[in-house]
Amino acid sequence: MYRSWWKILSVVLLVYTFTAGLLLKVPHLPALEETIRNLYFHVCMWFAMMILFTVSVINGIKYLRTFNIRYDIISRQYATTGIVLGLLGYATGAIWMSYTWADPNNPAFQSFGALAREPKLIGTAVALLIYFAYLVLRDSIADMDKRARISAVYNIFAYAMLFPSIWIVPRLLPSLHPGQEGNPAMNFKDVDSSMRVVFYPAVIGWTLLGVWITTIKIRIGLLKEKKWQ
Amino acid sequence: MKKSAKIFFLLLTGILSIGRLAAQGGETSGGLDQTMRSSGRIYVVVAVMLTILAGLIIYLIRLDRKITRLEKE
Amino acid sequence: MTTGSQNEYKKLTTKFSVIRSLTQIWTLFKKDLLLEIRQQYSFYGILLYIGATIFVLFLGIDEPEEKVWNGLFWVIQLFICINAVAKSFLQESRGRMLYFYSIASPGNFVLAKLLFNTLLMVVMSLLSLLLFSLFLGYPVVRTGPFVGLVLLGGWSLSLIFTFLAAIAARAQQNAAIMAVLGFPLIVPQLILLMKISNATFNPLLSLHASNILLLGALDVLVILLAVILFPFLWKD
Repeated sequence: MYRSWWKILSVVLLVYTFTAGLLLKVPHLPALEETIRNLYFHVCMWFAMMILFTVSVINGIKYLRTFNIRYDIISRQYATTGIVLGLLGYATGAIWMSYTWADPNNPAFQSFGALAREPKLIGTAVALLIYFAYLVLRDSIADMDKRARISAVYNIFAYAMLFPSIWIVPRLLPSLHPGQEGNPAMNFKDVDSSMRVVFYPAVIGWTLLGVWITTIKIRIGLLKEKKWQ
Repeated sequence: MKKSAKIFFLLLTGILSIGRLAAQGGETSGGLDQTMRSSGRIYVVVAVMLTILAGLIIYLIRLDRKITRLEKE
Repeated sequence: MTTGSQNEYKKLTTKFSVIRSLTQIWTLFKKDLLLEIRQQYSFYGILLYIGATIFVLFLGIDEPEEKVWNGLFWVIQLFICINAVAKSFLQESRGRMLYFYSIASPGNFVLAKLLFNTLLMVVMSLLSLLLFSLFLGYPVVRTGPFVGLVLLGGWSLSLIFTFLAAIAARAQQNAAIMAVLGFPLIVPQLILLMKISNATFNPLLSLHASNILLLGALDVLVILLAVILFPFLWKD
């Protein structure tokens, strides 16, 4: 955990993302124009968020198998970092769509309701709400072992229910989001191969940054734990 | 958590409302809206990058304060 | 010869244990049912809740259009479910839980609860459908499929909220936290239900079997998760 080669990798990948992401040629799409470069920033937030939530659930399962409080701390911290990245994804998504497909000059998007109806937003809003509820649940239980156990159970249950919702909801509601058939950026019909060269490293870089922040928080959590014992 | 969430929502609503306000006057009135649309809308990318940077920095400052408090105890 | 008889023996024991767990589930289910019949106030409480909500809706809006009717119906279903299911674990005192712990396996216990809440919610769903059609009009064109959907929907809702009630009860919280925990989880099912049931209002739209299968698959997933995860909630 304290070896740092991946931190260097994260920095290198992010530097590469920022430079190559801004300088390399991108395919020209009518509505998106240069904003397609947001793929390296906005979309990566979602990917990193989902990866961090997944790690959180894996640690929840580990906790239930071993009842080692350490895994509970890890699980919780990954969830909070995931929430932060999710909120950033939300904010950046709002900016991006305001100037592209959900143009405020278009009367169809005057109200916030019309924007919030977007299925991909619903999917991620559900994910964020689940993890907010997870934090609320945690705070409501005083006993440490009980809190760890119950919140791990909820974490696993909610995560297992989240995946169907991410798959189902976009297929039920109409959307203007690019990549309508299936999950955006998962199928690369709409993403040029030249973008993939930057996109994959960008996802890894952002995720590693999230992991880095989380490990710092885990270390704080473990120190706090040790002090109270 | 609560405080940072509040900050993010403020940021989000602020950005949204700026976009909306800028757009109220229609295409010609310009201002921020026109800037954002110029040069192939590259400024949208700039705004997105700045938001992520700002978010992460705010988060780090919060973390920093938390550790300081922990050290004092 | 010996391996054959061993296999026979194994089969017999598994058969026996299946029968035993089934009787255990049945006994626990009967106990819940008896309790419900004895303490009628909770049952009537939910009935009153249904009646009052629908009556208020009737006073506020008479004869809403199809989409509004559909939306209102499922949201009311959701609230009824939270109220009906919330007490299923909260009513069990600590001592009684300890007793169940000593006589039943956690899987059987949660299955019995799921079964009982399914029955409760199915009855409540049908009742609220009846009241809805009496007070707020009846825009449904295809009654058969819609009633089927109401039963399936009531079942799905009750499954998820039963498990969340278990979590809330272990956290020693009231029904409020159940709603907080449950709303994000129930969104896909509710959207799916509204979407499918929309088709029963219009004879031109067709019902997609795949969507209904999806709903069924989700229910199976919830049951599996409940059986796997409940033992961890149960230990103390």
